Amino acid sequence: MEENPRPRTILETCGEEIIRIVTPVSICMLSVVILVSILNGGSSSSGDLPISSMATIAYTENSSDSIWDKLKGALLNSLVFVAVVTAVTFLLVLLFYLGCTKFLKYYMGFSAFLVLGFMGGEISLLLIQSFSFPVDCITFAIVLFNFTVVGVLAVFMSKMALFVTQAYLVVIGVLVAYWFTLLPEWTTWVLLVAMALYDLAAVLLPGGPLRLLVELAMSREEDIPALVYEARPVINDSGPSGGAVQRRVWREGRGRPVMNENEGIRSNTRTVLASGENERDYVNAEEGRADELAVPLIQHVNIRMNSTEDNVPSDDLVLEGIGLGSSGAIKLGLGDFIFYSVLVGRAAMYDYMTVYACYLAIIAGLGITLMLLAFYRKALPALPVSILLGVLFYLLTRLLLEVFVVQCSMNLLMF
Amino acid sequence: MDDDSRNPPADSYTNPTAAAAPTSIRPTTTTTEDTSSSRRRLGRAEWPTIDGPLGLSHEDSLPYAQRFFKLGFLCLPFLWAVNCFYFWPVLRHPNSHHSHPDLRRYLFGSAIGFLLFTAILSSWALTFGIGGERLFGHVWQELVMYNVADKYGLTGWM
Repeated sequence: MEENPRPRTILETCGEEIIRIVTPVSICMLSVVILVSILNGGSSSSGDLPISSMATIAYTENSSDSIWDKLKGALLNSLVFVAVVTAVTFLLVLLFYLGCTKFLKYYMGFSAFLVLGFMGGEISLLLIQSFSFPVDCITFAIVLFNFTVVGVLAVFMSKMALFVTQAYLVVIGVLVAYWFTLLPEWTTWVLLVAMALYDLAAVLLPGGPLRLLVELAMSREEDIPALVYEARPVINDSGPSGGAVQRRVWREGRGRPVMNENEGIRSNTRTVLASGENERDYVNAEEGRADELAVPLIQHVNIRMNSTEDNVPSDDLVLEGIGLGSSGAIKLGLGDFIFYSVLVGRAAMYDYMTVYACYLAIIAGLGITLMLLAFYRKALPALPVSILLGVLFYLLTRLLLEVFVVQCSMNLLMF
Repeated sequence: MDDDSRNPPADSYTNPTAAAAPTSIRPTTTTTEDTSSSRRRLGRAEWPTIDGPLGLSHEDSLPYAQRFFKLGFLCLPFLWAVNCFYFWPVLRHPNSHHSHPDLRRYLFGSAIGFLLFTAILSSWALTFGIGGERLFGHVWQELVMYNVADKYGLTGWM
């Protein structure tokens, strides 16, 4: 006797969910491209940035080195970075196993504070300087303080306005990704590929740290304390259930990996490895926190940013993965946001043509990953497909497409 | 549906309405999950938070709103704004019977506090920005942010 609700088309259900995860990823990438264009516009492709961090500890790129030297140096840097990330992830698994969830939560909040307060403050100062915006220090301090504290609460508390939490996670992703784009060019690209391979190994191999984490969380029915972006679930129109959200949990019994979010925990390597860099320590901490925040998977990925001029190693543990939350919403780790944006940001440092190509590649990769997620119903790494497609498209655009388009434009064939 | 089974023929006209009542309670699925449209259909505030069924229940809302209201006094007007944003349905329909009167008081307090603080801060910021050196003289150069950043080397970390 109930009126038959109009059956929801696949465009409304699946399409809606995909849009809800593609939109924040796109906003994050767009913001990083804009930041890169504004702030790095002066020195476009200079690879001689004086920052030293965990990622450049092995080799500091010099633009006058030969290609082979740069490649070797970049490989060395990436290896060190991935090693640190692996170590920190295992430490995280150990802590989670020992039940120090509160400590991890506090660590996450602290990381969020560092990223939002210090990184956010620095980037906004750079923007103010570049535009000569006449704001006074009192107003700036109050606004930054408010922004940071509400951000920490949004990350920390479980029940907060969903829009505010999502917005802050995207902002954290943007800030950390921008920091990564400051690394030397070759190091960045090799690092991206290395992180994609690490993600693949960490999530799918039986001994991988992320897989252990997910299985631990599943067996204990607990939530991993990590930074994960959770899209709003699509509520189906089913009459008698009133306002209850339909639950689509893809659990395949205990002991099997749940679909839910792969939380990547990025530990602040700084915190772990940091030697006593007094004034740089807190900067490292910021980086560390980022680790906790972003889970490159659909889990939390903590990205630590090391932005110091000293050789303070900061480990960024990023966990990447994609999965399903308990309410059926798609969860994507913040690390995924970050590395996608790093790729697009790096492409923006060359030209906008590469930005368009890499954006399309990443979105296509994300779509493929979501399809695999629906097919396999397991926690999956979200980085490999997108990053490898993105790097491939970047190389193809830079080597082949650009020549073609420039020649066409010069001969007025196509603009 | 007992009355339906008891009086099948007479309720054939009321059945659709009786059947329509539970279906009208189902939340609309909009991209923003804004439950205000469903509430408009119902005419009552069913959920106190803007997240609808994903947010807090009526019982949990009160300590939450109270905590945010009190924390906002630590020079955090943004917290008041988030409080008002989160409980927007209650602010829109303050006379509904679902919400606790204390909750409404905290929300009005937060809204008034946020508006007051924003008025003061924006008037100061606008005076500073528009007035510039003509109004403040030498002090303006000391207070403006990019000079302060240069003086203390605040952007030298990256």
